[in-house]
Amino acid sequence: MKKNEVVLTIKDVNYRYKDAKKDDYVLRNINYSFEKGKVYSIKGKSGSGKTTLLSLISGLENKYEGEIFYKSKELKKMDLDLYRNTNIGIVFQSYNLLPHLTAIENIILSMDISKIKFDNKRQKAIELMKSVGLNEKLGDRRVLKLSGGEQQRVAIARSLSYNPEIILADEPTGNLDKETENEILDIFSRLAHKENKCVIIVTHSSNVCDKSDIVYELKKKQE
Amino acid sequence: MNMYILKNAITSIKRSKGRNILIGIIIIVIATSCAITLAIRESANKIITAYEEKNEIEATITMDRRTLMEKLRSENSTQEEMINAFNNIESVSVEDIENYGNSNYLKDYYYTYELSVDAKNLTEATDSLVKETTTTKTETSTKTRTRKFNGTPPSGGRGFPGGGGSKTTTTTQKKTTTTKTEKIFNEKAEDGAFKLIGYNSYEDMKEFISGKYTITSGEVSSDFESNNCVISEELATLNNLSVGDTITIIDPKTTSNTYTLTITGIYKENTDSSGSMNEMFTNSANNIITNSNFIKTMVEKNSSLTPTITPTFIVKDKESVELFESEVVEKGLSEYYQVTDNLSEIESATEAVSNVKTFATTFLIITLIIGGVVLVVINMINIRERKYEIGVLRTIGMKKSKVSLQFMSELLIVCIISLSLGSVIGAVTSVPISNMLLQNEIESTNNKYDNISKNFGMDNQEEPNQVETNEDVETTSDAEKEDDTGVKEEVSETNTNKEEVKEPTEKYNFGLANVSEVDNINAVVDFKVLAKLLGIGIALTLLSSLASMIAISRFSPLTILKERS
Repeated sequence: MKKNEVVLTIKDVNYRYKDAKKDDYVLRNINYSFEKGKVYSIKGKSGSGKTTLLSLISGLENKYEGEIFYKSKELKKMDLDLYRNTNIGIVFQSYNLLPHLTAIENIILSMDISKIKFDNKRQKAIELMKSVGLNEKLGDRRVLKLSGGEQQRVAIARSLSYNPEIILADEPTGNLDKETENEILDIFSRLAHKENKCVIIVTHSSNVCDKSDIVYELKKKQE
Repeated sequence: MNMYILKNAITSIKRSKGRNILIGIIIIVIATSCAITLAIRESANKIITAYEEKNEIEATITMDRRTLMEKLRSENSTQEEMINAFNNIESVSVEDIENYGNSNYLKDYYYTYELSVDAKNLTEATDSLVKETTTTKTETSTKTRTRKFNGTPPSGGRGFPGGGGSKTTTTTQKKTTTTKTEKIFNEKAEDGAFKLIGYNSYEDMKEFISGKYTITSGEVSSDFESNNCVISEELATLNNLSVGDTITIIDPKTTSNTYTLTITGIYKENTDSSGSMNEMFTNSANNIITNSNFIKTMVEKNSSLTPTITPTFIVKDKESVELFESEVVEKGLSEYYQVTDNLSEIESATEAVSNVKTFATTFLIITLIIGGVVLVVINMINIRERKYEIGVLRTIGMKKSKVSLQFMSELLIVCIISLSLGSVIGAVTSVPISNMLLQNEIESTNNKYDNISKNFGMDNQEEPNQVETNEDVETTSDAEKEDDTGVKEEVSETNTNKEEVKEPTEKYNFGLANVSEVDNINAVVDFKVLAKLLGIGIALTLLSSLASMIAISRFSPLTILKERS
């Protein structure tokens, strides 16, 4: 397992919204690189383009200028569905779990989509839940019956279900209290430092930035 | 298909009962309507096919009296000249018939010889009604469109009101024809009291094949060369004759020429011929059925005898009728002869069923259009409601096609379950509904019949009422049977799967269908209907899924999740 391997490179990326004026870029000349084994924070004020940058990195948006590389592969040339269900795991502020499914079913569905093979997917899902501090008994509850912190843990467990190298988190602690925020940040820290994942967190929380290894700051155009 | 998609679809159906029950109910309603209409259509088709198979399209060649009379009248011919003109028209020869019969539009053809003769010590089976009206005795027995008004109409009858000018003209002219030619036919009628009918083979004996005649004693001899015959039950009873006895036929022109025929069988006619006006001309009681060879022998001995050769051409299909008729004219049929067919009679007999079928088809199309639109709309609403789910699935890497497939699978599963329920409901309800619909058609035809009867001053006659009475009896016997112990035995129409095409009953029907002929549709949801239903279900599912697929392909997961946030 190579440590400090660069897994993601953003090179001269400019981005403007579809309906924006010609030179009205949200992101301009972005050049970042991300390594395994580290927790990155991308901070900035509202409207600075943090979430937009995350959507470019996650392949949810691909109409940008410049290049983004996953390892040596240019993202625009990749099968982005495959990229999302194999190489990266995404955690959202609003969890984005499927409400009609239980916690375990949400995790197993993610495994199914990624086509990863486990002898016992349910057992693996329970292990993942435990690794993020969730009780096995919660696994068979519909996710809407779980607390915000529990739902976010399920979302993290889901993002880890196919063992991706990069974890992208968009304001993952935005809806949580301080105590739960710290617990979630500990999980991210463990994933980076012990399991050699590259964790990229978009945030405006100084607490998150303090616990990150590297902090990138995005500034609004007029700043 | 990846199994997880199916698994996820099933989970989604289970967890969203309300939504799927709503979709299910709509599909059940559509499926039930479709099952009923398809079952009615299928049954109607079967009845029409069965009727058409049983009653083949036949064409024959008859004398065109109207044309001849018009010509004679325009020439101001005297009565004697008219008689001579009729007698001098060359009858259609066997060679002509064979020439016409050699046609690609025909399945088969045959011809029969008919000759009026006398018989020694044989009492004629007749009644006063027949005697009074024997003026048109020699009218051909073939039922044709042009014969519909050949029976003597009541005085003052000048066609059907609103029936079209051409019809009125035709009727009047024919009536005149009948009156003026009375003497001609009277003279011919004097040729003999009995009618010899000669066949060439069993295949030609359509009356026996169709069941109109049935042998009650003995058999129809397979020897079409010897002097044998089959006589009617009435004639046998009247003259105390039985199988094995002989009768002596007398040449009506030269009474010294006698011939002996051995009776090989006795037949009965399976129609109630009493009391109907047209039975005077088709009464088979005095028909002596023999072979063509025997009649030919008589004619060879006495060339003054003029047998009537009646060809019957079995036409391949409806489309071939007109083509065949044109072909015969091209082959040189005399202008005083015409080709007539029973097509309108067949079509008229199945008119009620055809109307039900048309109604069912229209209803099916409307149901499918409305059902299709409703399903598409519901599916679009469903997709909009589940936008978030689509966004999440797309974000975690599920391909658009697989998301669409999952949604389509959900709809398909709901559709198949609903179709099954709809088919069962359709199967149960299609029988009474279709019979009710057909009943209306039968009543409507009865009313039409009554109206025309009144135009002829026949509203006091029993025929129309007789039909209703028959129907009542049939309905009762179909609905339930009561055995000797008094236990009612229900007769399930669905299970028996029977399509009844009843024997035609002879009566003066003015060219309308005899409504008792096809009086019951027993609609069944069989495999063919189920297959069609499944096809419709899948087509509707695909159609409504197509709309959702387009919507799914347009959704951007990022936009959906942003909207959600």
